[in-house]
Amino acid sequence: MGSRVTRRRALRVLGASLGGSAFAYAVAPVAAFVQATNKEEFLQQHYRELTEAGLADVLRRLEAETARDYGADVSIRDPRPLPDVQFGYALNLSVCIGCRKCAEACHHENNHDRRTNNSYIRVLEMTQGTMDMEQGRADYDHAVPAPGKYYMPVQCQQCENPPCVDVCPVQATWKEDDGVVVVDYNWCIGCRYCEAACPYHARRFNWHKPEIPADEINPDQAYLSNRVRPQGVVEKCHFCLHRTREGRLPACLEACPTGARVFGNLLDPESEIRWVLANKRVFVLKEELGTNPRFFYFFDT
Amino acid sequence: MHRRAVHRRSATYPPVQLTLVVLAASASACQAASAEYFADTDQPRADDASGAALHDTTIELPASLRGVPTGERAPTGAPVVVACGTCHNGEPGALPAQASEVAGPHTGLVVQHGGNTCGSCHDPNRRDRLRLADGQQLELTEAMQLCSQCHGTQRRDYDHGAHGGMAGHWDLARGPRTRNHCIHCHDPHVPAYPRVLPAAPPRDRFFGAGAGHE
Amino acid sequence: MATPSHRISTIDHRVNYAKFLWRALSASTDGSWGFYAVMTALSVVALVGANAWAQQLVHGLATTNMSDHVSWGLYIANFTFLVGLAAGGVMMVIPAYVYRDQKMHDVTIIGELLAIAAIAMALLFVVVDMGRPDRLWHMIPGLGRFNWPISMLTWDVIVLNGYLLLNLHVVGYIVYQRYLMRRPNPRWYVPFVLLSIAWAISIHTVTAFLYSGLGGRPFWNSALLAPRFLASAFIAGPAAIIITLQLVQRLTSYMVPDGPIRTLLQVVRVTTIINLFMLLSELFTEFYSGGAHTASARYLFVGLHGHAELVPWIWSAVALNGFAILLLVQHNVQSRPLLMNVGLVMTFVGVWIEKGMGLIIPGFIPSTLHEVVTYMPSANEWKVTLGIWAFGGMLYIVAIKVALQAFAGELHRSIPPPRRKS
Repeated sequence: MGSRVTRRRALRVLGASLGGSAFAYAVAPVAAFVQATNKEEFLQQHYRELTEAGLADVLRRLEAETARDYGADVSIRDPRPLPDVQFGYALNLSVCIGCRKCAEACHHENNHDRRTNNSYIRVLEMTQGTMDMEQGRADYDHAVPAPGKYYMPVQCQQCENPPCVDVCPVQATWKEDDGVVVVDYNWCIGCRYCEAACPYHARRFNWHKPEIPADEINPDQAYLSNRVRPQGVVEKCHFCLHRTREGRLPACLEACPTGARVFGNLLDPESEIRWVLANKRVFVLKEELGTNPRFFYFFDT
Repeated sequence: MHRRAVHRRSATYPPVQLTLVVLAASASACQAASAEYFADTDQPRADDASGAALHDTTIELPASLRGVPTGERAPTGAPVVVACGTCHNGEPGALPAQASEVAGPHTGLVVQHGGNTCGSCHDPNRRDRLRLADGQQLELTEAMQLCSQCHGTQRRDYDHGAHGGMAGHWDLARGPRTRNHCIHCHDPHVPAYPRVLPAAPPRDRFFGAGAGHE
Repeated sequence: MATPSHRISTIDHRVNYAKFLWRALSASTDGSWGFYAVMTALSVVALVGANAWAQQLVHGLATTNMSDHVSWGLYIANFTFLVGLAAGGVMMVIPAYVYRDQKMHDVTIIGELLAIAAIAMALLFVVVDMGRPDRLWHMIPGLGRFNWPISMLTWDVIVLNGYLLLNLHVVGYIVYQRYLMRRPNPRWYVPFVLLSIAWAISIHTVTAFLYSGLGGRPFWNSALLAPRFLASAFIAGPAAIIITLQLVQRLTSYMVPDGPIRTLLQVVRVTTIINLFMLLSELFTEFYSGGAHTASARYLFVGLHGHAELVPWIWSAVALNGFAILLLVQHNVQSRPLLMNVGLVMTFVGVWIEKGMGLIIPGFIPSTLHEVVTYMPSANEWKVTLGIWAFGGMLYIVAIKVALQAFAGELHRSIPPPRRKS
């Protein structure tokens, strides 16, 4: 009896130590993940809680990380919303030819992953005579504009009532004072609830660490916009706020060869965007959802 | 900020006139369009222009309006052209009846522009010049005036930033803007926008092979 | 309320509770060779899962087959099903406490333990689905920024953790009292049991709201979603408990009365029929009216634009549930265990498909831009998923073992650890 108990105990100790080492072996790859992160990053506060000095430290750290991980010398700024400015965007579907130059420009401007050819803009080739997206497709690869087709680029609609912002459990995404919905890539936990909530397929997830050659990285970066994103977080169109908050036009608009895109300040009654809203028959996508987009479409009249 | 914005727009309107002096000097469809705009939206010009320095809007001038491209490029990268005046130096005489009769450097010219003939746009007496419908002569560099006499709605949209590519600043208080000329996209002889091959389709995860509809 | 506890009310709980935990740990690592074999097998699967998750953490969710089009997959499908399983565990508790069914009282602990194991698994499925689990602390109120009450996900965090704590308290208190050989004081657990009944409804309702609140996803954006969730929860939970009770009967010395199985069987009979009825209502609405919002249902049930990956899945689920009804409505089914268990397993698997992949994936197909990008879980996703199920199974087995030993009086503070074979 006694020897039986001892043997049992020995077996249990052996089992426990075997199990323990097997567990350690199984989760060993985690070490690489822990090594890739650091204390400052782990403990970093939410963007809106950072002090000016704290933010400056974060920006320098992120620049150093980009230099370390990508070999690129970049400058990361934090342009704030301009006073009395609310951005709006309109797109002329009569003029768009579906060349995807906007999507391509977005890809380069915003330091997207090269492997997936990611872009915040998706151009749908639609069939004339219907607005039914089910008749559309995004993977066309022939000369454009094709007969009988029209083209509808879709990107973040910067909704007045954004469902993606409501659902975020940690307030990692919010609407800025100029109407741009942004993401704090260092606060997002990667649950992708926002991706499920967005009715416009505007959000993208970093399924792996973005791959970009050093010489192709756009060094003109901002914290809330086009800095290289970490693995495992969600990103989205931000109306190129690193450009537009300095008065410049967004990259997709500059790339548009036909001038289908109109961008400007909705609060300025003399702006081009206001002229379009007042003089064209504009509509928004999925109006019935009550998201109230700031991105308008129109046909020439 | 708001006030400044108003000054900015009123001072530049119509934006074309600031920089294309020739346009500003002419009484044309352009001004008619802008007058119409002000009537439309009932926005009075603000006259207390208190000084926000506004940047220019420049219309890029295509090389083909300055002559015939030789295919060569200057060390600066600009295309080398043979100026129109090199050949057409005030010679009189009738224009060819149709495009196929055009000889010299313009051989092979195709015209598919509605029912227009050569004389619809070119001055029969000065082949290095254009001519408006009312008989007024026009330099080649002023071609947009000519386009606008028929394409008024496009010109109206253009003047309001809703037609034609642009680059630079949306806020002219912060920087300048450049704009495409009509003929950047529309060859005056074959104005339909040419079909192009699009940039690569999306390659996001699992999209493409077997995806999409039908 | 004169209980024997008055005599030993001066005991030091700090010492006793530590001893209790130690004894429970030692009881949970002690058992027959069969127990060791099962636990070893489950450990191996769980470790393979842990390794797969570690790989995913390093290389990103690119190791899964999810995409920006189908941004939730097998993990969230299992999460949804397990929340239902956890809520269903409470179906033991309602007859016992609300209808004062004395026979049910003794076995309610099984339902509560099922709830604990299911919630633990559900929470693990949420964690493995996260792109940045290292930032989990961003959710902690006070430390992070908890987007309550706007985000339904924060509600889910509250109700799931609350339900886990409620059940842990009730089970822990009762087992500890048994260990002390005291009669549990109803004041310390009955209010919590009653609360947990309401709470069980809430966990599955809130989880349904998680999906039905998304206006951009017509497949989920239905008022029927929460009732359907509850109906299916009250299939899977009782089915799992009936099977557990039979295993307990067969493998331990614990005598399981017939009454609870009969009651639970009644519940399953009714809920499978209600579930099928709601499915028919939904199918009618989708297919009779037609239109663009039915694209997901078409993809699921008949295929869309030549894509029909989920069609065999969902029809198997419908067939499983249908056959299960035919088996379970036989009035003598309880005396024919094979028939009954086949029916129960069929309906359990049917609900797993229907409330798992069958609910989550079509929500994303077609995408919000009406593109069809399909999804099948990757090998790594299956490993992680099986690993979590194995871990949950271990948790469930050990918890039942410890609890039943305490109930049988084998785990007692005055008795040294048993030196027995089983």
